[in-house]
Amino acid sequence: MREGLAGKYVGAKVRRVEDRRLLTGRGRYIDDLNLPDMAHAAFLRSPYPHAHIRRVDIDSARRMAGVFLVLTGADMARLTNPFLGMMALDGLYDPVFYALATDRVRVVGDPVAIVVAESRRVAEDACELIDVEYEPIAAIANMAQAMDPMRPPIWPRARSNVLWEDSQTYGDVEVAFAGADRVIRERFAQHRQSNQPMETRGSVAEIDPVSGELIFHSATQSAHSLKWSLAFLLERTSVWRSIRELATNREKPRKFVVGARAFIKSHPDLRTATKSSQPAMLKQLRREPKRIVHLSEALLGLLAKDPSRRPRVLAQDIGGAFGAKGLVPREDVALATAALQLGRSVKWIEDRNEHLMVGGQAREETLDIDVAVTSDGTILGLKVHMTMDVGAYPGFPFNGAFFAQMVKVMMPGPYRIGALRFDTTITASNKGTYVPYRGPWAAETWVRERMIDVVARELGIGRADIRLANMIGADELPAAMVTGPPLDVRMSARRTLEEALRVADFDSWDAIRDQARSEGRIVGMGLATFIEAAPGPPKFFDYISPGFSALAGVEPAHAVLEVDGSLSVITQQVPHGQGHETTLAQVAADELGVAVEAVRVRYGDSSITPFSLFGTGGSRSAAMAGGVVTVAAQELRQRVVDIASDLMEASTEDIVIEDGHIHVAGTPAIGVSFAEVAAEAVRRRPGSPSDGAIRVTSEWDGGAGGWAQATHVCWVEIDLDTGLVTIPRYVVVEDCGELINPAIVDGQIRGGVAQGIGAVLYERAAYDGDANFQAGTFMDFLIPTAMEIPDVEIHHLQTPSDIFANYRGVGEGGMIAAPAALTNAIEDALAHLGARITEQHLPPARILELAGVIEAEAPTEVGPPDYSAAAAVPAPRPSLIRERMPTLTPAQAQAVRRTATSVRSGARRFADRYAGRP
Amino acid sequence: MKIPRFTYHRPATEEEALAMLTEFGEDAKVLAGGQSLIPLMALRLSRPAHLIDIGGLRELAAIRERSGTVSVGAAVRHVEVERSALVARAAPLAAAAMPHIGHGAIRNRGTACGSLAHADPAAELPAVALAAGASFVVRRASGERTVPASEFFLGYLTCDMGPDELLVEWRLPTWPVTAGWSVQEVSRRHGDFALLGMAAMIDTDPVGRISTAALSLFGAASTPIRVDAAEKLLTGEPPSAALFDEAAEIVKGQLDPPGDLHGTAAYRKHLGAVLTRRCLSEAAGRLGAAA
Repeated sequence: MREGLAGKYVGAKVRRVEDRRLLTGRGRYIDDLNLPDMAHAAFLRSPYPHAHIRRVDIDSARRMAGVFLVLTGADMARLTNPFLGMMALDGLYDPVFYALATDRVRVVGDPVAIVVAESRRVAEDACELIDVEYEPIAAIANMAQAMDPMRPPIWPRARSNVLWEDSQTYGDVEVAFAGADRVIRERFAQHRQSNQPMETRGSVAEIDPVSGELIFHSATQSAHSLKWSLAFLLERTSVWRSIRELATNREKPRKFVVGARAFIKSHPDLRTATKSSQPAMLKQLRREPKRIVHLSEALLGLLAKDPSRRPRVLAQDIGGAFGAKGLVPREDVALATAALQLGRSVKWIEDRNEHLMVGGQAREETLDIDVAVTSDGTILGLKVHMTMDVGAYPGFPFNGAFFAQMVKVMMPGPYRIGALRFDTTITASNKGTYVPYRGPWAAETWVRERMIDVVARELGIGRADIRLANMIGADELPAAMVTGPPLDVRMSARRTLEEALRVADFDSWDAIRDQARSEGRIVGMGLATFIEAAPGPPKFFDYISPGFSALAGVEPAHAVLEVDGSLSVITQQVPHGQGHETTLAQVAADELGVAVEAVRVRYGDSSITPFSLFGTGGSRSAAMAGGVVTVAAQELRQRVVDIASDLMEASTEDIVIEDGHIHVAGTPAIGVSFAEVAAEAVRRRPGSPSDGAIRVTSEWDGGAGGWAQATHVCWVEIDLDTGLVTIPRYVVVEDCGELINPAIVDGQIRGGVAQGIGAVLYERAAYDGDANFQAGTFMDFLIPTAMEIPDVEIHHLQTPSDIFANYRGVGEGGMIAAPAALTNAIEDALAHLGARITEQHLPPARILELAGVIEAEAPTEVGPPDYSAAAAVPAPRPSLIRERMPTLTPAQAQAVRRTATSVRSGARRFADRYAGRP
Repeated sequence: MKIPRFTYHRPATEEEALAMLTEFGEDAKVLAGGQSLIPLMALRLSRPAHLIDIGGLRELAAIRERSGTVSVGAAVRHVEVERSALVARAAPLAAAAMPHIGHGAIRNRGTACGSLAHADPAAELPAVALAAGASFVVRRASGERTVPASEFFLGYLTCDMGPDELLVEWRLPTWPVTAGWSVQEVSRRHGDFALLGMAAMIDTDPVGRISTAALSLFGAASTPIRVDAAEKLLTGEPPSAALFDEAAEIVKGQLDPPGDLHGTAAYRKHLGAVLTRRCLSEAAGRLGAAA
C-alpha cells in the first residue's frame, strides 16, 4: 500500500491555468474568431412541428444585396451524403436524412435553408424573404400519440412511430417474482430537459485561400470524431467516380485498408461483435435499400478522397457542452458545404433560441417498474419497462437507443439485485433530438432510489435500513452486477452511504421533521446513492453494445520535450470547462519533476492531437487521460534521464529531477537543464525538429478502471402557500479514488448538483399537445441562478490503492444523484398529505397540486399506455398501420392549408407567452 | 438573432426629441434603458425604423418633490429610485417595489418611466402606480396632458399614449404618513417576472378603522388591476387576520388569471389569496411607520 495519496501537485488545489485567460475576457471561443473576408450564415427554420414542404422559393433572398449563397435540402441531397444511423440494434429503425429538410419538416426549428451573407443581420433579413409552402401533418407530441397507430409515422419507412422494442432478461426473473411476498409497482416519468451550456453550438468553416482545404473551427467535444464525420458526410461523390479514382491511384486506399485491417486484427472481439450485428444491419438494408447506395457513395468517397480534402478540425476554448456537443450538428454539414461551394470562410453562431429548440434535448423517459420483495425488505428482482422519446432526428453518431442500453445495464446500481427483466420501447416524436446529457443513463438512479423509498414506505421499513439491507458491502467484493459489469473491491457505495448517514445524523431526522410539522413547517430529507462507470471496469462498453469498447478505443497521448526545453502534453481530450490544462499538467509535472507551469497541455487540433474518436465525455478524462499522461510522462522522463546521465557521466539510477533541475543525487549544484537535454537530443537525431526534441506516444487502456460513487443527502423546506421549495442543506459524500485537483472535483460536483436541482424545480423543454415548442427563451426555460442553488457540503472518501492511476471520474455524478435526493426529500416533506412523487419535474404549481392545496390540471405530456393492460390487446400489424394512415380529402387538405396560414410563427408564440396569454 | 436595421437618434433637448416623435410617429420608439425594447428588437418582434434615445436629456433625469407629489423624470434609472431617500420617505410603496424589479444589472440601466410606458402587466411599477393613485405627465410637441394611473393602462403593452407623445414624468402623491404599505410577489426564480404580485396600501382613521385600502395586482390580467370588492370590504373595519382572510377569498374569487408554462390559472388564483393575506398583514404592521 502506498503511504500517501498525493504528489507535489496531484492532490493539491492548483489554481486553474485557464482562469487568467477566461476571467479576463481573453478566452478564444468560436465567436471570437474573425477571419479576413469571412461571411456569415443564418438558418431558416420550420415553424411547424410536422409538415410536407410543397415549395421553397429562394429567388428574392438570393437576389438581396449582400447575400452570397442560399442552399436548401435539395442542394444537400445533391452535394452531401445523408446522415445514416449506424446503431446496429436488431429491429431499430434508424433513419436516413440530410443536413437540411428535403421533403418534410419534423420538428419546430428544423433547418430548411442556409443563407450566407456579408453579415449575420443581412443573412437573417434574407431568411425572411424565403417563401416556403408547408402542408401540416398531424404531429406526434408525446409517447401516447407515438403509440397511436392512427397517427402518421414521422419516418414513413419505419411504418410506425415506435422505432424499437426490446426485452432482455438477466438472472431468473420468474423465480425471483414467484418467491416474493410483495410485488410493488410504480410508474416514473422524467421530463424533457436540455443541456444548455453557456456557449451555444457554433462553427467557422475556414477555407484556406491557397490550398482550398477546409479548416473547421468548432465547439465540439471530439475533434477527430467531427473530422471523420465531416469527411464522411461532405462532398458526395458518385460510386463510379470513386472507383475510377481508386483504380487510377491504388496507393490511396492501401494505407487506409492496411490500417483498418491492423485495427480489426488487434481487436478480435470487434470481429465477433461485427458478426453478431450483421443481421441487424442487413435488416436495415432490406427495409431501406437506398442505404446501400448512400453507404457505398459515402464509404468509397471517403476512401477515394485525397487526405487533404479531409477537414482539419480545430477546437479552442469551449463554453460547456454537458454532452450536447459530442454529436455532429446537421448545421455543421450545411455550413461546411456552403463554405466549400463559395470557396470562402463562413461563420455560424447558434442563437439561444435555436439552441433551445434544436441544440439538443434529453431525458424524456418513462419507466414502469415492478419490484419483487420479501416482507423484510429484501429486493429479489426487478421488471422494468423503459419508454424513451428520442424526438425526430436521431443524434449522429449516437442514437438515443444507445443510452437506453446504458440505463438497462446500470439498473441494479450498487444493490444486490439478482434478477432483472428490462424492456425497452423507443418512440419518435416531432420534438428536438435526444442527446446525451450529463449522466445520460441517470434514469436508473432516479427510478431506483425513488422506488426504494416507495418500497420502504409500503413495507414500513426505514429508508436507510432498506438501503443498508440491500446494498453490496465491502466484504462481498469483488462481485458483479446481474447485467454483467464486475464490481471490484474499490466499489465503495456503501461506505459513502454509511458516512452520509453519520454526517446527516439521519437517525434523528424523523423527530426533527415531526417537530417542524407540529410548528407548521413542512420539511423533508432525501437520500440517494449511485455508482458510475467512470471509466468502469475493463471493457465496460461491451456490456452496453458488443464491440463498442474497441471503437471507444484506448486513450492516447504525446509527451514532448520541445527543442527549447519546454514540455508539452498533447491530448485527444477536448476540454470544455473541466480544466484539463491544469489537471493533466499536474499529473505530468509530478512525473517529470517540474513546476506545473512548465507543462503546456495542447488539444483540439486534429492535425496534431493523437487519434481517438471518443473526445471528452463519459466522465472518463481523469481516469483515461490522467492515466495515459502518467505513462507518457514517465516514458519521457526516462528518455530525458538517459541523455542527462550521458551528459553528466552518471548512472541513470542516480539522476534526480527536482523543480525542473536535472542533477545527480546528492550534488544538486551540478546539473543540466531540460534545454540542454533537448539540444543534445536534437544533435543525436538530426532532421526535422518540428516534432520536438524528444517525443513519446503512449496509450492507456484504463487499466483496472473502476467505479465512482457517492451518496447525496438533500434537505428541503416547502412553503405550502406558494409551493416554493428551498434547500437549506445539501451534503455529498463521494469516492472517486484519488483526487488530482480537489477544487476542480468540488466544482464538478457542485455544477452537477445545480443542474439536478434545475431539472427538478426549474428546467423543462416543454412542448404543447401539438408538439409546438414552448420554451424558446430563457424566460421560459428557467436555469437556476446562484440565488437558487444552496451551498453544497462535500465530503471526500479517498482510499489509498496500489492500483496505477487510481483516478475515477466525477463529471456526471452530481447530476445523476441530485434529482433522486431532491425528489425523495420532497416526498418525505409531503408524505403526510398523501403526496406521491412519480414525476421528476416539480414546479411550484405542481407541488401545490400534489399537496392537495389546489386542483390539478391535465398534463400535456402523456406517457405510454399501461403495458400490463396493453398486453391483452393485440398490437396492430405494420401493414395495418400503413392502411390506416389518414389520407386527406381535398376539402380537408384545403382546411389544413387554411389553418396553416393562420397558425402563428414560433416568434409570435413567444410574444404571447411573454404577454402571459394562454 | 440580430436587430434589423434602424436609425439611431440622440436628441440634445426635449424639444428636439418631441419634434422627432412628431416627424417619425409610428416608425419611432423611444429608447430609455432599453431593458425591454432591445430584447424585443433582437427577437425581431419589434422593428422600429428610428430609435430616439432620451438618455441625454438632463432635464428629465431628476427625482423632485413639489406641491404634494414626488416626481420621477423620464430618464431616471431604477437604481436611482431604489437609492433615493426622498422616495423612501415620501413614496415608500414605490421604494418597496424596487428590489423586485429584475436584477441589479437591469436596474442599473432600466428606467422607471420606461417600465411604466412599456406597460407590461406583470411588471411591478404599473401596479404601484395604480395603488398609489399616481399620474403621468405626457407631452407632445403641441402640448401636455396629465393622465391618472387608473386611465393610463389600456391593455397588454398598451397605455394611453400616442406615437408622437413622450412620458416625461411619473407623479406620486406624497405618502400619507399614517398609511402602511406592502409589495410582494411570487416568481419562479429571484428576479423573474412575477407569476402574481400585489402592491397594497391601507390607512386608518383616528379610531383605528381602515379608511383607505388599495389592492393592486400585477401578472393577473392584461393590465394591473385593483380589486374594488375587497377594498370595499376592508374599508370601515378594524384590521384583523380574519378580515384579511375574508378579503383574500374575495380577491381569489375575482381573479381570472391566465395559465401558462410557469403556473396554472388555479395556481395563480390561489396566489391571489396568499398575497392578499401577506400584503395586508405586512401593510398593517407598517401603519404609521412612515411618520
